[in-house]
Amino acid sequence: MNGIDGVLLVARQEFRTRLRTGRWKILLGAWFLVVGVFAVLMRLALDLTDTDDPGVPLFGTLLLFVLILTMLVAPALTAQSINGDRERGTLATLQVTRLTPWEITLGKFAAGWATGLATLLLALPFILWPIVEGAVPPLRGLVSVVVLALLIGIVCAIAQALSALVMRGITSTLLSYLAVFAAMIGTVIAFFIAQPLVATHVDRGDYIDSVDHSERVWWLLAPNPFVILADATPRLPRVQRCYDYAYPSTTDGTGTSPPVRRCHLESPDTFDPLGEIGRSVRDARLGADERDDRFAYDEEAGAPVQRSAGPVWPYGLGFGLLVAGGSLWITARRLETPARTLGKGVRIA
Amino acid sequence: MDQDVGVLARGVTRSFGRFQALRGMDLTVPYGEVTALVGANGAGKTTLMLVLATLLAPDPGTAEVKVAGYDLRTHSALARASLGWMPDTFGVYDRLTAVEYLEFFAAAYRVPRADAATRIAELLERVHLVEFARQPVHVLSRGQKQRLGLARALVHRPKVLLLDEPASGLDPRSRVELRDLLRGLAAEGCAVLVSSHILNELEEIADRVVLVDQGRTAGEHDLATLLASASGIWRIRALDEDALGVALDRRSVPHRIASGTPGVDAGPLTEQEAASLLTDLVGDGVRIVSYAPVGGVLESVYLAMTEDRR
Repeated sequence: MNGIDGVLLVARQEFRTRLRTGRWKILLGAWFLVVGVFAVLMRLALDLTDTDDPGVPLFGTLLLFVLILTMLVAPALTAQSINGDRERGTLATLQVTRLTPWEITLGKFAAGWATGLATLLLALPFILWPIVEGAVPPLRGLVSVVVLALLIGIVCAIAQALSALVMRGITSTLLSYLAVFAAMIGTVIAFFIAQPLVATHVDRGDYIDSVDHSERVWWLLAPNPFVILADATPRLPRVQRCYDYAYPSTTDGTGTSPPVRRCHLESPDTFDPLGEIGRSVRDARLGADERDDRFAYDEEAGAPVQRSAGPVWPYGLGFGLLVAGGSLWITARRLETPARTLGKGVRIA
Repeated sequence: MDQDVGVLARGVTRSFGRFQALRGMDLTVPYGEVTALVGANGAGKTTLMLVLATLLAPDPGTAEVKVAGYDLRTHSALARASLGWMPDTFGVYDRLTAVEYLEFFAAAYRVPRADAATRIAELLERVHLVEFARQPVHVLSRGQKQRLGLARALVHRPKVLLLDEPASGLDPRSRVELRDLLRGLAAEGCAVLVSSHILNELEEIADRVVLVDQGRTAGEHDLATLLASASGIWRIRALDEDALGVALDRRSVPHRIASGTPGVDAGPLTEQEAASLLTDLVGDGVRIVSYAPVGGVLESVYLAMTEDRR
């Protein structure tokens, strides 16, 4: 037995000792109910307001709702996985066996992550609803669910590292929630605070104009789970709309020149929450100067100028996965024996 | 010689920040014998056990620390396979039955599955927990949990067994059973190291005793030799205590009336001296009804060692 067997052994043990409490059935039942009630009510509300294509906003809001809920659940899954065992006096007896630190780390992480994935699985019927209806392409649904699953794993890994670093379970739980809060709210606050700090000022003669440079601080938004999920999910395309513009004639000021047809790329009519968030962060990455150019018209080509910044989510998700990997490494390091240094107040057995 | 002993530790040091928990511990635990680790609270017994259990790294200054022939600083993973450890306090996974608990550790020690089932049945028999095999662990009493912990430590047939205060919290019957169990393991060739405060009991369990004080080994003794050579107080009861007092005075043996119980405390005397004195007293016509060491030899040795601390 080696490697994967050890990981599975530890994971199975975690499940057994946790699941036999029976409370999980009630919790998962409540979870299913909350997501279901939300989906049904949302759908009714969209029907009542005669929204076009209700599947798209339903899909978007439901995913954001599920994201918020999983971000509330995920830290609790592993935030006491190491120090909780230490407090109960079951960690040291595990460490003296032939299980390696990595087997213990990955086994406990796998159990926590799998539990998080189970909550996602329960939300799946409601996520599938707009896909089955044909309002949302299956690829969109798949990408969203995969990204959600990865986000849950990242949070589980971070919470586990905190439980390995901090002696008391209550402290590591609190810190895990703070970390999630920082990613969800803190990044947005940081972005909006940073923006005026990086703005440049242009003297226009009569007044000083402040030019926004969000392209310098967009990366502050990248680790945000909402941003990652929304931007990674393929969005509805921007639609091209053309308008006829009639300008006053330049020669005598009375007549009008023949109307000129100009086309622009605009947000689709359907309210698409994920798409909107994704477009906003990509616009933020573009910066004010280029952003305004978006409406520019290429006369020669007879088409709107296509300007779009690259995606933001690979940075966010990449950062998250790096942090998660680092977290697992920290946990394994802290479980290494013989221990050279001990955390403050850590009692081995 | 090195390969022949279960534990060989020389000059083990370990500090936590500025606090030096171990200042040079020497310890030998031969196979087939029970070695007792005796010392006050804070003397470093548990720290030494943690080092030997491969949980805590000794400081770089340590001269030698080997378990089952493996140097713990370089081959701790190999040592683990032949090492069983029971801490003074430990938790069990409450939701599991006794068998599931042992099965988990058998797998964690990589005991082949087919072998594990028979081994677990055998161990439950050995620690008298057969009727609790399918019971959840949390219904077990403290003594039963302690025995389950011992079964856990033995699940992979270790050659070296380290037990930290195994008798604490056990009722007299469980202690007797523990004693028999440890003697049995030693008889099978296991090297057993036991730390305890209950000194009288160690006299019955141990073949060797290692005294530790303030992070240092104060002495390693063969218990039989120690019992023979150490001086202790002997409590003598005679039909006529005045006559006994006169006889003791005549032979200038220090003595005083025992406090709380009838009899006279004489000594310190070694076993040899005590035996001679008894012969003399009988020869003097003192009619003796009881003649026994007070508190055991280990206790006297231990108290003498720790006396200068007060």
